[in-house]
Amino acid sequence: MMNLFLRVLYVGYRAYTRITYWIKRRFTIVGQAVLGATVVALFASTDSDNAVGYQAFMPLAIVVGSALLFGSRWGFRPHFVVERRLPKLATVGHPLTYQVWIKNLTARRQVGLTLIEDLADPRPPFTEWRDYKLDEDKHVRPFRFDRQRYRSPFKYATLRECEVPPTDPQQEQELSFVLHPLRRGLIRFEGFTLGRPDPFGIFRALQRQALPQSILVLPRRYEIPPVALPGTRQYQQGGVTLASHIGQSEEFVALRDYQQGDPLRHIHWRTWAKVDRPIVKEFEDEFFVRHALILDTLTPRPYSDVFEEAVSVAASFACTALTQESLLDLLFVGAEAYSFTAGRGLAHADQMLEILAAVQPCRTPTFTQLEQLVLGHAPMVSGCICVLLAWDEVRQQFIEKLRTLDLPVWVFVIRTATETAPLEPGPMRAAPECLRALTVGRVQEQLAELT
Amino acid sequence: MRPPPFLLGAALLFWGWQSGLFLVGALLAVILEGARVFKVRWDFSDEDFNRIWTFCALLLFGALLYAFSTHDGSSSISFLLGDKSPGTAQAASTAGARTIISVICWLPMIFYPFLLLQTYSTRETVPLSTISLILQKRWKKRKRHEPDPTADRGLNVGYPYFCATLLAASFHPANDHSFFWGFCTLLIWALWTHRSRRFGWAVWLGLLLVVAGGSYFGQRSVSRLQQYVANLNPHWFARFTRRNEDANQSRTALGMLGRVKNSGKIVIRTTPHDPTHVPQYLREASYRLYRRQTWLAGSSRDDFQQLYEEAPVEHPGNWTLLPEKTPSATLEIACYLDGYEQDSPVGLLPLPAGTARLENLHAYNLMRNSAGSVRAFGPGLVVFEARYGPGKTIDSPPGTGTVENPETQRLLAEGGRWHHFNNDGSDPAGGRRPRRWNSESNTPFTPPPGWDVPPTVRTNEDLEVPLIEQPALDAILVELQLPDQRLATVLPAVSQFFDTKFKYQTWQTPVRGMSFTNTPLAQFLLTTRAGHCEYFATATALLLRRLGIPTRYAIGYALHEKSGSGYVVRMSDAHAWTLVWDEREKVWRDFDTTPAAWIEVEHQAFSPLQWWSDLGSRIAFEFSKIRNGQSKFQQYLIWLVVPALALLLYQIIFQRGRRRATHSAATMPPPDWPGADSDFYRLEQQLAARGVPREEAEPLRFWLRRALRQPELLALQAPLEELLRLHYRHRFDPLGLGPDERAALRRETEHCLERLSGMAPQPASR
Repeated sequence: MMNLFLRVLYVGYRAYTRITYWIKRRFTIVGQAVLGATVVALFASTDSDNAVGYQAFMPLAIVVGSALLFGSRWGFRPHFVVERRLPKLATVGHPLTYQVWIKNLTARRQVGLTLIEDLADPRPPFTEWRDYKLDEDKHVRPFRFDRQRYRSPFKYATLRECEVPPTDPQQEQELSFVLHPLRRGLIRFEGFTLGRPDPFGIFRALQRQALPQSILVLPRRYEIPPVALPGTRQYQQGGVTLASHIGQSEEFVALRDYQQGDPLRHIHWRTWAKVDRPIVKEFEDEFFVRHALILDTLTPRPYSDVFEEAVSVAASFACTALTQESLLDLLFVGAEAYSFTAGRGLAHADQMLEILAAVQPCRTPTFTQLEQLVLGHAPMVSGCICVLLAWDEVRQQFIEKLRTLDLPVWVFVIRTATETAPLEPGPMRAAPECLRALTVGRVQEQLAELT
Repeated sequence: MRPPPFLLGAALLFWGWQSGLFLVGALLAVILEGARVFKVRWDFSDEDFNRIWTFCALLLFGALLYAFSTHDGSSSISFLLGDKSPGTAQAASTAGARTIISVICWLPMIFYPFLLLQTYSTRETVPLSTISLILQKRWKKRKRHEPDPTADRGLNVGYPYFCATLLAASFHPANDHSFFWGFCTLLIWALWTHRSRRFGWAVWLGLLLVVAGGSYFGQRSVSRLQQYVANLNPHWFARFTRRNEDANQSRTALGMLGRVKNSGKIVIRTTPHDPTHVPQYLREASYRLYRRQTWLAGSSRDDFQQLYEEAPVEHPGNWTLLPEKTPSATLEIACYLDGYEQDSPVGLLPLPAGTARLENLHAYNLMRNSAGSVRAFGPGLVVFEARYGPGKTIDSPPGTGTVENPETQRLLAEGGRWHHFNNDGSDPAGGRRPRRWNSESNTPFTPPPGWDVPPTVRTNEDLEVPLIEQPALDAILVELQLPDQRLATVLPAVSQFFDTKFKYQTWQTPVRGMSFTNTPLAQFLLTTRAGHCEYFATATALLLRRLGIPTRYAIGYALHEKSGSGYVVRMSDAHAWTLVWDEREKVWRDFDTTPAAWIEVEHQAFSPLQWWSDLGSRIAFEFSKIRNGQSKFQQYLIWLVVPALALLLYQIIFQRGRRRATHSAATMPPPDWPGADSDFYRLEQQLAARGVPREEAEPLRFWLRRALRQPELLALQAPLEELLRLHYRHRFDPLGLGPDERAALRRETEHCLERLSGMAPQPASR
């Protein structure tokens, strides 16, 4: 029954968004005002005894009606070439300016056109929308408008239309668009639309052309002060295979007799010629810092500010840690357990951020998978940075296990603004300074307090 | 987006012209457009915009309260401003939407300060966070977390104000087409600046002609459509929401199957002045003829008489019903008028029996008929005092009233026929006499010797019994075995009979073997012997009529539920009973044969959350009292609003200056900057007292050099320069002073101050 009700709501949601999308594309700002005034005049028309609003209705309605007549593409055959130069990456919260070149291939001067970018439809399928709605009903208090998200969580970016300056035949114009990314992930551009307004300037005829492209939006990142990350240098078994070059370290230590299994390229041929027995070069073992960045993705909520902040904090640490001489393993659980290693030439921060841009919450309520993944990595790492979504018993037990392995651990617990009680140190009682609560909306301020 | 030059001024002139406030509109327009001549602009801060917006919002609230309390705000403001045009007076006559209309009319004045602030400010837009409280809250939150947040988005309020002005100008009765042409002119003016440059003049002007011509002829058609829509008067729907009794007829629920259940909604509130004298019933109407499960007023239908206030000017609200009677008790009654006629709420007043006078009843019109109904036209809620006492009532004696009315004659004649209509109006018997009697009523009632039972009277409406109901009634009379015909004997016997052999029941089950003689009343009397109050009242009335006792069928409410110092009456307390004519006293007496358990049965059906509904009802009642002018609140409201607005205006205008004055005072706390606590400032004060004050913006080093020109200070040169060095470090060094150095600064300063205090003061030297 509930499902049926939500399905009806979903149909209404799609219809509403479709209508508003149509109105915003077709009507100019002036047109939207005229349309609104027409509706008001229509209601005012119901009382002609006390008001003359009905006299305003007909002029407005005829203005709108005549504008609609110009809405057809009759007489509007624009022939343009459009090139969009889009960067590969963007970041949430940072406006991105990019250029579009448009060339008039028609034989006449084009005036008063508008170029509209067509982004892919962000509306989710029913199941995703339903999950979001049910979650919102549980967690968002009604009638607290200032606390609610005022924009759709499904919307990837905002992008304003751009007026095309008067363009002569064969002339090319450069236009600037400003993209405001609202959430991480992939933004798909499907094409562009040219709009021609009617003589009153209230309604547009539209002509679409396909021009598919995409841009990856990275998570929001915070500035983290230089901190001494936990742990000491650790011998890496197989060591240099993980280092910047394929093979062992370049650090030559000594010569020794050949043993079965030594690679042939390590044979020092000159010494063999001198001593007449196979001699091989011995290299220094690799010791370097390797950190595990553990991102807790286990949350029953399909979309939450807490999770987004956790990803942002993880992204901030990924950028900071990789500027140091260290390796960083990003560990999290999605459809399965994932582990990515970056640093010392293996992968760059950009790649780590691209992975984080695509991380989704894992809604299966078990911590075991992540625990197994992390404990399997524990012998190789010098320390752990854990970004957790809660500080409950399960997570405390997990941290306890890490502590028993003598691993230095930094724990960051992301909380909502309503959770103000101090965290119970639990397994971190020996090093309470390594347990930090980060509040949504105040993360930058609290990260700046790290020393 | 900025409106073109002079558009707003023209809109204000147009508004003033249309709303009858031309001088006001012209004044506002001149001040606004004067900004094109006077180029002086002020740099108003966001805080200034917030304050003026708050002022406008409170002004709007105050205007709402004022219009709401006075109900004719538009005419009042016009009166205050010297406009007494009939158009304005007519606009204020529609009570339902009067408040909203008044406030909309004032919108250009209410939001004018805000527009003026934008016009005379150095910026072209106002911050969006000013207008929206939500955005304002978010903006403040952002400012807390980010030291230098990006500027908020702005909005030019010119066009919104333009739309509001046109809307305000539209609320007046249509006398001519001036609004149409004025509106078209302003619309074209506004659209002209935003036209598409893609099209030439010819196309634009051609379209303009199409719009102007089409809309002129089109709006004539719209006015017809509008008349049709206006006929769908929302008050028409109000009939379905309340009980709304009709003085002419009362359709009973006799014969209906299923549960008859009224809601627990409170409809009347009463307070007796004397708690020992509380009437049992509040009657709304009584009826005389019974036909097809419907009680009809009969000849009382058309004898409504106009009542007049005793002294409409000196003591308004006092109405006399029975001039010769001296009432002994008073009951304060508050009830709603649910119907709607002639653009006014109307309804039957629930009154105790024997009401002689109504006081403080501020009704527009009052009428009464011979069946005891008092019909009032007035506000939606009336609160009045009913003065009543035992004895005579406003009902006419039995048998009075003219039956020459063709409708009454038709009804009386119909009662003498055998046919019985079904509930849907069809006639199963086709008007023929039934072939057989109902099985239970085969024995017709034969009056004992000495009884004076007249044949059914077709000329006295209060004794008339439909022929179709007589067999069942006769069977009951046989069963009753009354010893005599005296009222003192009959009434207790009938009451006991119904009390012992019948039961109250709101649920009616279908009965097998239903024939055309088995009317619902016959089913009740002979078969089911269970029903609700309408059955009991109808059966009693007709039964007594068969005995020659004049009766009437009364409806109203039972008064039994105490609430505080008064009583409340719910919809479920709606009741029907019988009026019996007492020939000896020459009065109508209430006679109720419904078993007393009916109140308990009705209350059992209440929801456990009835208290919640009662609370809402109380709030709605208090609100309704204010809305309908039944409270003294409105008299005091204006005196509350005026000083509040004056205080607010004072705060907005003068608070800023006051704060500045406070800031410049010597008591101002030192600013919070590094080194503000340096002890060197004490030395500065001491030297200034000696006649070497530091000039504004003069560096300390230069000032000290100037001060040390005094010969007696030469001894202090070294320590003072060292102290200045420490002070500079304390003030500007990012690492600051160490604890020892900080202590040294304090110590040496104290030392220097002691030495300075030992020296004689010197005149200033430059």
